[in-house]
Amino acid sequence: MATAAAPLLEVRGLCKRFGGLVALDRVSFQVREGEIRGLIGPNGAGKSTLFKNIAGFYRPGAGEILLAGRPISGRPPYEIAGLGVVRTFQETTLFQELSVMRNLEAGCHLHASSGLFRALLGLDRERLERQRQAAGRILDFVGLRERRAQLASELPLGSQRALALGIALLAKPRLLLLDEPFAGMNPAETAHMMELTRKVRRSGITIVLVEHNMKAVMGLCDFVTVLNFGRLLAEGTPESVRRDPAVLEAYLGSAAGGTERASC
Amino acid sequence: MELVLQSIANALVQSGFFSLWAVGLVLIFGVMGIINFAHGEMVMVGAYTVWLLYAGQGLPFPLALLAAALIVCLLGLCMERFLFQPFRENPLGGLINSIGLLFILQVLAVQIGGLGLMKHVPPAFPGTLELPFEVRIPVQRAVALVVSLGLLAAVGWLLTWTRLGWALRAVSMDREAAALQGISVRRIGMFAMGLGAALAGTAGALMAPLVRVEPYMGHAVIITAFIVAIVGGIGSIRGAVLAAVLYAFFHTFVTTYYSGTLATMLGLFIMLLVLVIKPTGLMGSRLRE
Amino acid sequence: MNSASRRHGWWLAAAVLLPALAALPFFLPFHRQDFMIFLLLDVMLVVSYRLVTLSGEWSLIHMVLMGCGGYASALLSKRADLLVWLSIPLAALLTAAVALLLSFPLLRMRGFYFLIGSYAAGEAVRLAWKYFVYPFGGPKGLKLIPPLELQLPFLEQPLSFVEPIPFYLLLLVVTCVSLLLLYRLEHSRIGLTLHMVHWQPSLAEAVGVNSWRYRTLAFACGAFFAGLAGALFVHYLGSINPNQFAIGEMLYILVWVIIGGTRTFAGPVIGVVVLSVLNEIFRQYDEWRPAIYGLILLLSMRFLPDGLESLPGRLRGLWRRRVAAAQG
Repeated sequence: MATAAAPLLEVRGLCKRFGGLVALDRVSFQVREGEIRGLIGPNGAGKSTLFKNIAGFYRPGAGEILLAGRPISGRPPYEIAGLGVVRTFQETTLFQELSVMRNLEAGCHLHASSGLFRALLGLDRERLERQRQAAGRILDFVGLRERRAQLASELPLGSQRALALGIALLAKPRLLLLDEPFAGMNPAETAHMMELTRKVRRSGITIVLVEHNMKAVMGLCDFVTVLNFGRLLAEGTPESVRRDPAVLEAYLGSAAGGTERASC
Repeated sequence: MELVLQSIANALVQSGFFSLWAVGLVLIFGVMGIINFAHGEMVMVGAYTVWLLYAGQGLPFPLALLAAALIVCLLGLCMERFLFQPFRENPLGGLINSIGLLFILQVLAVQIGGLGLMKHVPPAFPGTLELPFEVRIPVQRAVALVVSLGLLAAVGWLLTWTRLGWALRAVSMDREAAALQGISVRRIGMFAMGLGAALAGTAGALMAPLVRVEPYMGHAVIITAFIVAIVGGIGSIRGAVLAAVLYAFFHTFVTTYYSGTLATMLGLFIMLLVLVIKPTGLMGSRLRE
Repeated sequence: MNSASRRHGWWLAAAVLLPALAALPFFLPFHRQDFMIFLLLDVMLVVSYRLVTLSGEWSLIHMVLMGCGGYASALLSKRADLLVWLSIPLAALLTAAVALLLSFPLLRMRGFYFLIGSYAAGEAVRLAWKYFVYPFGGPKGLKLIPPLELQLPFLEQPLSFVEPIPFYLLLLVVTCVSLLLLYRLEHSRIGLTLHMVHWQPSLAEAVGVNSWRYRTLAFACGAFFAGLAGALFVHYLGSINPNQFAIGEMLYILVWVIIGGTRTFAGPVIGVVVLSVLNEIFRQYDEWRPAIYGLILLLSMRFLPDGLESLPGRLRGLWRRRVAAAQG
């Protein structure tokens, strides 16, 4: 990737407290356009909190978050999504009772939201058509065309995750935040999801992911940022981070298995 | 000056009632997370019991009071067992069930006592206490105040100092953690509901000689209980008592100098304001959900 | 294919049902005509209420919003001498505006807090009608509200909509148009977004939905149709008072909606029609009505938690199992 590119995401001195607990303590890092960045750390290191701050679900206590040089901290999630930062969720978040296609159509909000009167008078045909087209493109992209009429609840885990990713892609992100995209997956599903993630990057979307599955992180990410107890512990390429003594120590005793969840 | 002092005396009596109403509601919500819309009707059933047994059958008042507490307590236990427990996963289900019961109780009251007639319950303790500055308190009201204060003190003692109270507080803080501690959430739920219902029944019984006993008297009760519970911080007993005293003074003074309708209207505005600005209320520290 | 044929089915049903409904009052005695009128008003109430429930909130202010429409139209026509044909739509818009105003405090809350908050706000508004004798008429309310009239060229007297049959026909038209609009709204892009806001609020926000806006939209639109029903109602009855909109009446809406079921558009309509017809059949037990409603509510919560709308599916399942049992 081009090393001279301006940072798409910049986090500066971010702090977040819950009562007496310091969840994030002056965390700063940058993510360049086109990168796949891994965010790792033991349980309770503050990874999820960091995600929620970036996506606007939490209001940062102190510090700044900049998207392509523009401050976005403190805005509500839907505005941040409109600016191009879209997150996925740890628990696979879908409409289980709707079909795959309908799920994607629901995600088309930013493409096809229509006003009250247009909707009532049926003047939003062209928008709905655009919505269907966008949903159809994503359907192909995530490889769910054959399953489009199935209910989301009937899909295997890998396909459910792909669908959730598809919904996020429909919000036209510049920066995609993936919250444990490989949790609970078998090796085949993991490999498929890794391929899909690379494909997303190739389409020009920058990715930051929180993940416990080290194999996936090491195989996928250009750079890795390590958090521990809410502080930045290390940063660098997967190889350098793997050999970092501080990282090794932080992980000693605390298993880095894929089944655990960050508890913050 | 006399009017002010008299109003203070009236407000004191009112605060006893308001506290009893609200504490029952808060107990049930705090422990089980269910809003009992039929709470006002439980008070009504208590009042009707006194009307039937004391005014009708000539039973001594204290006995009728005890009967009211027991009957409403039993009603509360049945509600918990048949209407709330099966809907533990769906708090709205419990609420809707309590609405269904509310309708049934109102109609039963109409059928038993009729609609339009004013049900007169003679005071069990006639006479008036003459206090300085021409302040008068009917003995019945004074007794009501003393009994409510006694009950509230007893509940406070129960919650603070007994093992049962400790378990109840544990359940209201975190149901799952309490269950892991070996507390039977089911039994604590029954206990909270029984206690809350008994308080409501007693309040209704104490009120019976002082107000108009009629099938729809629960409406005023539930509005007041909601206002007090929300302002005090839903789930907090101490907050409820504090809010009950404040609101009783507010309500009594506005009623005396302006009108009762205005008093309730302003009370509702205050409640909305609290909901918007500080949904945890005066004393509540945490939000459910 | 399937949806097209289903759509044809709907049109066919409407083509049969509408003329039948329009002709019905001519064959009914006076009190039954009245019953049909109130039934249509209740249908408008529950269907507009359903729009609010779509966004995931259970409100207790809907009945008071209907009253807002009624009071607004009554005041506009009686005190401001506005033409009734204008005061009714204006009152509906005013009701939507009131809901918009109320949404600032109310929609900051969710779930249980919204329920209690909407109850408090509704009761406060109702007490305001009771307290302020001018302009609302205090506890006695307003009387002698001008009726809806239409001067037709071939009639000597203007056609008065205080008569049940003309009013019923007008109401039928308004109800049908309202239902159609609400149905469209639900099945539009907006309806899908509301579904999203209800069932996956975080996901909705994450993909750029301003959920507050959509909840406000649902609340205000629901209020519009409730206000419309209230405005029509007040010119038929000629009077209005605060007690008509007390919490007890609101609870009936809740009962209808819950017993009918909220998953489908038809659910609340089924609920209100079935219960109202039952109620009409057992008219001599009118004083028991709330209790019967209460009992039905308790039983349906226990045995039919998804409402009457789930009944056909359940019966089919039962039938299939019996057939399977008979075969195997």
